[in-house]
Amino acid sequence: MTLRKFTRAEATAYGFLAVTLLFCLLPFIWVVLASVDPNASLFLSLPKGITADHFVKVFTANNGRRWFFNSLVTVGATTAVVVVVGGMGGYALSRTNAWWKSPFLYAIILVRVLPPTALIVPLYKFMLFANGLMGAVVRSVVPPDSARSAMQICGFVDGYLGLILVLSAMQLPLALWIIKTYFDLTPKDYEEAALMDGANGFQRMHRILVPLALPGLGAAGLLTFIGAWGDFLMPLTFISSAELQLLPIGLFRAFQRANTIDYGYLSALALLYMLPAVVAFGLARRFLIQTFTGGIKG
Amino acid sequence: MKATVLRAGVVVGLIAGAIAAAVVISRARFGSREGAISGVSAPTIRIAEHRQPRIDALNKSIPRIEKQLGVVIEVVEYPAPEKDYLSKLLTELGAGNAPDLFTANFDADVPDMVSAGYLAVITAEVKAWEGYEKLFEVAKKLSIGADGQIYALDSMLLVEQIYFRRDLLDKAGISTAQPANWKDLLDRAREIKAKTGKYGLLLPAGIGWGAGGFTEGFALFVAGSKTPQIANDDGTLNLNGEGVRDIFGLYKSLIDEDLMPIKPLLGPEPWVIPKYTMFPAGDLMATTCGTWCYIYDWGKDSKNPVPDVTKNVGTWAVPGMDGGSSVKISGSNIWAVNANSAHLNLTKKVLLALCSVDSTVAYAQLLGNIPARRDAADNKDFQAMTELVPVLKNVDNGTYLKSAPGFSVVSEGVARATEALLRKQTDAAGAQAILVKYVKDLLGDNAVK
Amino acid sequence: MAMTYETRMAWQNRMLLVPAMVLLGCFILIPAAAAIYISFTNAALNGFAASHPQFVGLKNYVRLFSDEGFWNSLIVTFYFVFGSSIVGQFVLGLASAIALSRPIAFKPVFNAAILLPNAVPEVVAGFIWISMLGGGKYSTLSRIVGLFGIAPQNWLESVPLLMIIVVNTWRGIAFAMILMTSGLSAVPAEVYEAARMDGATPSQIFWRITLPLLRPTIFLYMLVSTAGTIAIFGLIYTLTRGGPGGATEIIGIYIYNQSFTAYQLGYGSAVAVIVLGVSVAIGAIYARVLKVQV
Repeated sequence: MTLRKFTRAEATAYGFLAVTLLFCLLPFIWVVLASVDPNASLFLSLPKGITADHFVKVFTANNGRRWFFNSLVTVGATTAVVVVVGGMGGYALSRTNAWWKSPFLYAIILVRVLPPTALIVPLYKFMLFANGLMGAVVRSVVPPDSARSAMQICGFVDGYLGLILVLSAMQLPLALWIIKTYFDLTPKDYEEAALMDGANGFQRMHRILVPLALPGLGAAGLLTFIGAWGDFLMPLTFISSAELQLLPIGLFRAFQRANTIDYGYLSALALLYMLPAVVAFGLARRFLIQTFTGGIKG
Repeated sequence: MKATVLRAGVVVGLIAGAIAAAVVISRARFGSREGAISGVSAPTIRIAEHRQPRIDALNKSIPRIEKQLGVVIEVVEYPAPEKDYLSKLLTELGAGNAPDLFTANFDADVPDMVSAGYLAVITAEVKAWEGYEKLFEVAKKLSIGADGQIYALDSMLLVEQIYFRRDLLDKAGISTAQPANWKDLLDRAREIKAKTGKYGLLLPAGIGWGAGGFTEGFALFVAGSKTPQIANDDGTLNLNGEGVRDIFGLYKSLIDEDLMPIKPLLGPEPWVIPKYTMFPAGDLMATTCGTWCYIYDWGKDSKNPVPDVTKNVGTWAVPGMDGGSSVKISGSNIWAVNANSAHLNLTKKVLLALCSVDSTVAYAQLLGNIPARRDAADNKDFQAMTELVPVLKNVDNGTYLKSAPGFSVVSEGVARATEALLRKQTDAAGAQAILVKYVKDLLGDNAVK
Repeated sequence: MAMTYETRMAWQNRMLLVPAMVLLGCFILIPAAAAIYISFTNAALNGFAASHPQFVGLKNYVRLFSDEGFWNSLIVTFYFVFGSSIVGQFVLGLASAIALSRPIAFKPVFNAAILLPNAVPEVVAGFIWISMLGGGKYSTLSRIVGLFGIAPQNWLESVPLLMIIVVNTWRGIAFAMILMTSGLSAVPAEVYEAARMDGATPSQIFWRITLPLLRPTIFLYMLVSTAGTIAIFGLIYTLTRGGPGGATEIIGIYIYNQSFTAYQLGYGSAVAVIVLGVSVAIGAIYARVLKVQV
């Protein structure tokens, strides 16, 4: 084996990358170790034994399961909503040449830079108002004792519906942009051919368009999932019932009980919470480049 | 590329679906408790409670109340830190989906909740209740709102004084006699610092401490100051007087002369280190506190108990500025009914049941507060708590601060003012100015006299 | 057919956009406008104003200008954005992009490692950094610097602002790296070749050729990154809740605290309006640079 001499540039590159790698991965070491450590504490230590108990507890102890379920349901629904609404909207934005196209795109960019923290107060008041209306409707239709359960599903504050709509709205601008950009790069030939063949109504259009658009929709879907899965502010503000709590808030609150924190359980929970986001991120990596630069090249 | 994405999507979807299915299936095994009592679905009353000891105390009373009233009670656990508890409660009250029954923990919070329209009127039910006559005068007064109606019922009392390490002061040769006035108190703290090097006296302060800075610190000295009451009868607040400035001056001396710990008070949960660690370890010799400290902070339920706590921890009443002394009594565990509750009448009955002797004694056992009713003294379990018995007897001699709408703003104002003192950014007059400005900004210029 | 093909398509396009418009309108645009309205009232979560909010004109804004907490938050946010986004993430991201543009072994490993901090949800990131930084002498950071002879301390209490800058840098390197990589790839290899043949040193190549060519990318990165950093909430809230005495109270946390912890919804809205204004300005510049076209 011949030893290749490293140029100084290469050595610096490797050195820098190694330090950066260490910097990036170091904080994760603790959470991985603590999740299998029977005596986990807040501080980094080598576990004296390995146990899968914490992971099991996440699914057997009441709260972990509920949080997962709630997160899956709300984020899953959000992704579905965004893919459908964004799919339609992105297509329209790409194919149209109407006067409102430019202002609309401009508006999307502006909306993308608005921090949710600045919107939270008026959004909260708006949701309160909508919740009041929904409550009136629900209470007039449903017997009083199940009113609460009904409101948990369709309430705007402290209800699945409200949170799903809010999360969808937050993720929509990015999705619209991605899908529009994607359609911009897709030749119109197929659609035109289908139209020539007399394809009227949405059915045939969708049988052609949707498969064509799948990568774009997939990218938008994955990024929406990642964004909504990690969202902390919206569930914090809009969800209070313990039964509806989502993973990020559950994790946060469990960490607040100063006297009774079970770090092993929390670490296992954190790892499991992290997993879908990391997987989705990995799948979406290819599209990330397009998203982040999305617009630099138009 | 299309195929890979499709495949990936299918895989992710399957995994998500599997998890969701597992979750749903296992969740289905837990039935709900509704209808357990009589076969017909009994109405569910939801009660908000926070902190494990309170939840335990509440749970002790629940089976009895459920049987007595034929309801199902669901205890909803709320975040433990006081500020978070209130934030969540108020957000839900604003949204109209708060639990039926909940506590306000400081009498400072109740008047504002009343004026926000969150609480149901319970005057008739309370006056017709057998326990009403047994309530201490203080509890009665604290329960009546500004318009003469009763919106909340005070079930426990906080009796607050200054607690000190009798054993360590004796060892250092420092007098443990009741301080005669503020100067004497300060001198004592200085002596402690000089002779032992430890912190002499802690007064809750700063934004992190929340309402406690006012109710457990500032407010204790009001009675003995030149401004004995803050709330005027006409609804205005007495904040411009000398008394307020003098109290801030007391804080300033303690802070500037390094007689009280400062760093922990700048962070979240600021009481943890000073009260649960420093005081038992002897690094802090005196602090304001209440009867609960004998049990919860330093006694049998504490993680860091002081050995032989009733002997080694003594109490001083709060000295007045120029003499005299007072023991501050405030309401705690003030139960209130959500004005939007679906089961108003039943909830009110549950409320009264929670103010019974048995329930209040259960709370006293786990938290160390004093039940607000005289006849608790006849209860065997209460008599077993020897530290609390003499305090209950003396409740009638305590002083209390009249509460008024706007007190939550005053609390926050005091928190900000003391925060500025903690960070050594101002002096006593400056702190008073901060307080007055904050209250004026929020309540209008006419609110402050 | 009643309509022509064109009108039918135009109508269809409009219909397709309606759901998106409804969602964006209801949950973003209307609240943004409402923020302006609410900021002129004394809406609150508790007290009399909770049930009877009143119009108070510019009072909240006047209060803003004399409120130390507000200015403190602005300053903290400024340092936070500058330190983590403009400097930290950019430098490390650019360096990573350059390093990885060479033929290097284990590229996917380095890539994945750098991406991981960005992939995890905010709450988890905050949580794992508490183990790194909190707890005095037991925290991982204390133990590491102990090897270099620096005293262990409670990092989140002694240098909180510096710590959140470090954490956010850690989190955002990937974003900068990806953008810079894309920018670098647009520089044709011939340019480098020509420079090398003219005898330019690597350092000269970097400063005189690479950077200037990257300028548009860098500018866009700065805009987007600034907007994104201003919007951060969960990461810092989990880590410090706004820090000891407001030392890490970035503007997002300040708004949240004023609105939901001090119950002053009107005042919180006033601060929000200012932040919205700044964001819109950034967005407008971004849109112009992108030259949004039909």
